[in-house]
Amino acid sequence: MQIDFAKKELTLKLVYYGPALSGKTTNLRAIHWLGTSSTCGELMTLETQNDRTLFFDMLPITVSSQSGLKIRLKLFTVPGQVMHNATRRLVLQATDGVAFIADSQRSEADSNRESFLNLKQNLEEIGIDPTRVPIIIQFNKRDMEDVRTDEELEAIAKQSREPIFKAVATRGYGVMQTLRGLVRETWDKLEEEHQLEKKFGISPVRFMNEIELNLKHNPGRRER
Amino acid sequence: MQDDTSAADILMGDVVRLEDVLSRESVTSVSKSFFALFGLPVRVISQEGDLLADVHRDRPLCNYVNTLSNGERECADTVGLVRDVEPNGQTIVHPCFTGAVYRIAPLAHQGRPIGRLIIGPYVPAETQGPPASLTSIDGSIHLPTAREHFDRMPRVREDIAEELSAHLKGVVELLVFSGHRAQLASTMQVASVRENYRELAEKNEALKTSYDELKQLDQLKSTFLATVSHELRTPLTSIIGYTEMLESGAAGALSDGQAEFLNTIRGKADQLLGLISSLLDLGRLEAKSLELHNEAVDPRALLSDVGSTIVPNANRRNVALDIKVAEGTPKIWGDPVRLQQIVLNLADNALKFTHEGGEVILGAEPGELDAEGPEGLGAALFAASRPAVVLTVRDSGMGIPEESLSRIFDAFYQIDAGTTRAHGGAGLGLSIVKQLVDGHDGTIEVTSALGEGTIFTVKLPAADDNA
Repeated sequence: MQIDFAKKELTLKLVYYGPALSGKTTNLRAIHWLGTSSTCGELMTLETQNDRTLFFDMLPITVSSQSGLKIRLKLFTVPGQVMHNATRRLVLQATDGVAFIADSQRSEADSNRESFLNLKQNLEEIGIDPTRVPIIIQFNKRDMEDVRTDEELEAIAKQSREPIFKAVATRGYGVMQTLRGLVRETWDKLEEEHQLEKKFGISPVRFMNEIELNLKHNPGRRER
Repeated sequence: MQDDTSAADILMGDVVRLEDVLSRESVTSVSKSFFALFGLPVRVISQEGDLLADVHRDRPLCNYVNTLSNGERECADTVGLVRDVEPNGQTIVHPCFTGAVYRIAPLAHQGRPIGRLIIGPYVPAETQGPPASLTSIDGSIHLPTAREHFDRMPRVREDIAEELSAHLKGVVELLVFSGHRAQLASTMQVASVRENYRELAEKNEALKTSYDELKQLDQLKSTFLATVSHELRTPLTSIIGYTEMLESGAAGALSDGQAEFLNTIRGKADQLLGLISSLLDLGRLEAKSLELHNEAVDPRALLSDVGSTIVPNANRRNVALDIKVAEGTPKIWGDPVRLQQIVLNLADNALKFTHEGGEVILGAEPGELDAEGPEGLGAALFAASRPAVVLTVRDSGMGIPEESLSRIFDAFYQIDAGTTRAHGGAGLGLSIVKQLVDGHDGTIEVTSALGEGTIFTVKLPAADDNA
């Protein structure tokens, strides 16, 4: 988190993590597509090879709240392929929250677990306590065959520490809900640690209202 | 770019300074083509106030008002104001006393102001004639001249000017975007390489530590072997001694059965002593504490000695034994006892793995030991090759599988556990041979074809002619 008191500006770094081909970049593309142009900046894709992320993607989002506080969200994706671990660790540095994009297909359960352990290990290596960083989990690709059923996910959600979201990122379903969920978790955590309400006079409820207002779909665009 | 800047870039992906991501050349080139197309002057200024592009032509009107004292002062004031005005996210149209205007548009990247671009001066097409602020600027103004110059100023409709400035702003912001992307990519590239290097260095360190630990364990093993062998040899010597006494009848006459049993005890005890001696040798060789008493050794005598030792065994197994020493083979510089150990071990092995009806050939010929260093390259830097004696032990036995060739010189290695039982031995012979050859500054190589046989080639330094 970066705070500029003079400019009343707060920047949050949010990282989309997950196994290779789980749809991290697709999430950012969908947010960019669905968001209003005044809120979403240009999606920056850094070096790809055969449409696979090499370094990261970045989508800047700027929300000017009515309290005068300017909130900048920087959404990053990491490269999912196993060999890019050093790059993942670099992108993860100083993150305020993590959206873990899991693949709903049963065949991918192992990759999900492996990637989550890798996330935990990388957080530890860069000195971030994995139990204290806000993490939410999105089960993506709900439209594929042989995925975990909704009932299974509900059962998982009941036991899970992390909030669970469902999505079909290629069509935009669930990506905004996931982002809002991640922002909510992150803000609650930061409020607890930094007393943002005291510093900026913006309560968590009001903050989320502002986010809901700003992070809604562009009326001209619809989930496809 | 400094390191801490790159770190901040990676952490947040922010543009720190416009100059870092926008090259003066490219923004100037874009401004020039804009000027050529529309005749409108362009300046691009960073948030810190640095002028990154300035494309304009001096206008006769501007030159003229600068010849008037009031005009010069007013002009400087206006230009100063235009340069410093902060557009705060909105395009500003700033008037000049000449009736021209400047259009100042903010440049932003990822929701943050990064600079501004200034278009002008130009006269809005809607303006009718020079304003009073120009005509009354100075008592000495010559109105017809001022009017003539005013009429020659570039004219643009304000709605068109707005579109043009929005277009140019879009182009410059796109340049910033791609410049920023390139900057992040190269920073990431360097950072990833560093991170990978750090990770590899850590792993290498861990490997080195475990290698050192293994070396220590290996050392312990050698010490243990040496101690145990020594402790085993003492009582064994007694066993052999007393057996010999019994055999010689020192404790009375023996029956045939007793003599046969004693013979077996004796044979097995000798075998055990041989094994223990090998272990001791290996221990000493590994500790580099084996002393060599080098002298010039005649290869023909060496091979004949070994041949006579193994010939009874060869005859028993119906394996032909041949010795071939080439004409002009020099003497070997080495320890005669150890040289014999080398050849005997190899010959014993050859015999052991050769089927009935096969043959074993011991050979010696002149040769050269390669100079150290890469083949043929930089030979001048390395010692010239030395004369050597090439000893070969060739058999027509079962051969050695390729995957085992690199390990046969390891102590206790057996190609497969089955052969140990079939042929005896503890897998120490070749390891000792290798260490002894190394101790003589020689080389040993093996080539083998399954089912056809194996050739061990030992190169040892030749003795000087006068030795």
